[in-house]
Amino acid sequence: MELITGQIELLGRIFLYLLPALPATIYVTVLSFLLSLVLGLAVGMAEISPRKWLSLPAKIYVDTFRGIPLLVLIFFFYFGLGTILNLERMAAGIIAIGVCYAAYQAEIFRSGIEAISHGQYEAALSLGMTRGQVMRHVILPQSIRIVLPPTANEFIACLKDSSLVSIIGLREITRAGREFYSQYFVDFQTWFVVGLVYLIMTLTLSRLVVRLEKRFAIVGYGKKP
Amino acid sequence: MSIIEINNVARRFGSVVALDGVSLNVERGERLVIIGPSGSGKSTLLRTINGLEPLDDGEIIIDGVHLDRNHRQIHEIRLEVGMVFQQFNLFPHLTVKRNIVLPQTVVRRRSEAEAGEKAMMLLAKVGLTDKAESYPGELSGGQQQRVAIARALGMDPKVMLFDEATSALDPEMIGEVLGVMKQLASEGMTMLVVTHEIGFAREVADRVAFIDGGKIVEIGPPAQIFDHPGQLRTAEFLAKVL
Repeated sequence: MELITGQIELLGRIFLYLLPALPATIYVTVLSFLLSLVLGLAVGMAEISPRKWLSLPAKIYVDTFRGIPLLVLIFFFYFGLGTILNLERMAAGIIAIGVCYAAYQAEIFRSGIEAISHGQYEAALSLGMTRGQVMRHVILPQSIRIVLPPTANEFIACLKDSSLVSIIGLREITRAGREFYSQYFVDFQTWFVVGLVYLIMTLTLSRLVVRLEKRFAIVGYGKKP
Repeated sequence: MSIIEINNVARRFGSVVALDGVSLNVERGERLVIIGPSGSGKSTLLRTINGLEPLDDGEIIIDGVHLDRNHRQIHEIRLEVGMVFQQFNLFPHLTVKRNIVLPQTVVRRRSEAEAGEKAMMLLAKVGLTDKAESYPGELSGGQQQRVAIARALGMDPKVMLFDEATSALDPEMIGEVLGVMKQLASEGMTMLVVTHEIGFAREVADRVAFIDGGKIVEIGPPAQIFDHPGQLRTAEFLAKVL
C-alpha cells in the first residue's frame, strides 16, 4: 500500500516538475504552427500560380523542406544559421519547425483550392460576381472545410514534434523530463508522465477536431449528384 | 434593335479554331436553339456571350453593351445574361434558398428580405418550395438544375443561356427541366439553348442554328432545318441524331 501511494506521489512530483515547462511547449507549438500557416498559404498559392517564376520556387521549397528531417533542420537553424544570425534557441526552434511544416501545409492548401471544381468559378462569375467575391463567398468557404481536418492533424503532429527542440537545450516538457531523470534516475516513471502529458493534450485536440468537423459538415456534400 | 448582335466572332485554342467568324442576331423574346456535333463550337459560342470565353476577334453587343476582346464591360454583360450549365454548379455549402439569395445580395445589392422573397417566388415557379432549406447534395439532378435556373432568374437577366442543361440528367428527369424551360419560353424570355433534345427544339424554337467547324452552317425555322435542310452537312448530322 505504501509502495503504491509512494509511486503515485512520485508521478505527481514529476508532473509538477514538468508543469513550468508546459508554456514553452505550447509557445513553440502555436508560434511555429502559425508561421507554417502563413508561409504555407503563400507557398501553396504560389504553387498553383500560372506564373512560372512563382510556381517553380514554391515547388522547390516544398520538395526541399519535405525531404530533410526536422531534427537536421533544427540543428541547421540553431548551430548553423543561429550562430551567424545570432538566433536564440526559441527563435531557431520555432523557425525550423515552422519552415518544415509550411512545406506540408502548402500542399494541403494547394489541394484544398484545387479541389473546388472550375464550374464553381464559372457559375459565380456568370452570376456577375467579381473575382474577389467568388473567392470570398464561393471558393474559400468550401476550401476551408476540405483543409480543416488535415490542418488539424498537422497541428497535433506539430505539438508532438515540438519535443525535438529539447535537443538544442530549450526547456520545454521533454527537456524538463530529462532534467528530472538526471537528478533522480527514475526513468520509467519520468517518461511515463511526459508521455501522458502529451497524450492528454493530443487527445483533447483530436476530440476538438471531430467536433469542428461535425460543426462544418455540409449535408450531402461529396455525394455524387 | 436586336438584343444580341454577334459580329464576326472568332475563338481559337492553339491551332484549333473553335469559332470561325460567327455572326448572328437574336431578337428580343426570340428562342434560338443551337445544335451541332460535339466539338463544333456551339458551347464555345454560348460561353463567349457572357464572357466565360474570351474573344480572339469580333464583338458582341448585348442590349447596347459592347463586349470586345478587351473585356472591359464584361461585368455589365454578365448582369444581363443568365447561364445554366450542364453540371448545374450549385454552391454545395449553401442551402437551396441561400444559393438564390447570395448572388442577389452580393451582386444586385438587394436586402436579405427582398432577395429571400424573390427566391421563394422563383422556387414556387420551378416547383421546389419544399426544398428551400435543403442542400444541393440532397437533391436529384433534375431538382438541382431547376434550382440553378431559379438562381439565374434571380438576377433578372434579359437573356438566358442554356448549355446542354439536360445532358447530365437521367432520362426521367429531363422532362421536368425542359418543362421549366418551356414555361420560361412562354413568358417571353430571350433564350439561347444548346441542346440535343430535338423534340424540344421543334416545339419551342423560333429558329434553329446548325453549327459545325466553328461556323453557322444553316439557320432557320425548325420545320425548315429539321424537315428540309438546305445543306448536306445538316442533313447528315440530323440523320445521326433523329
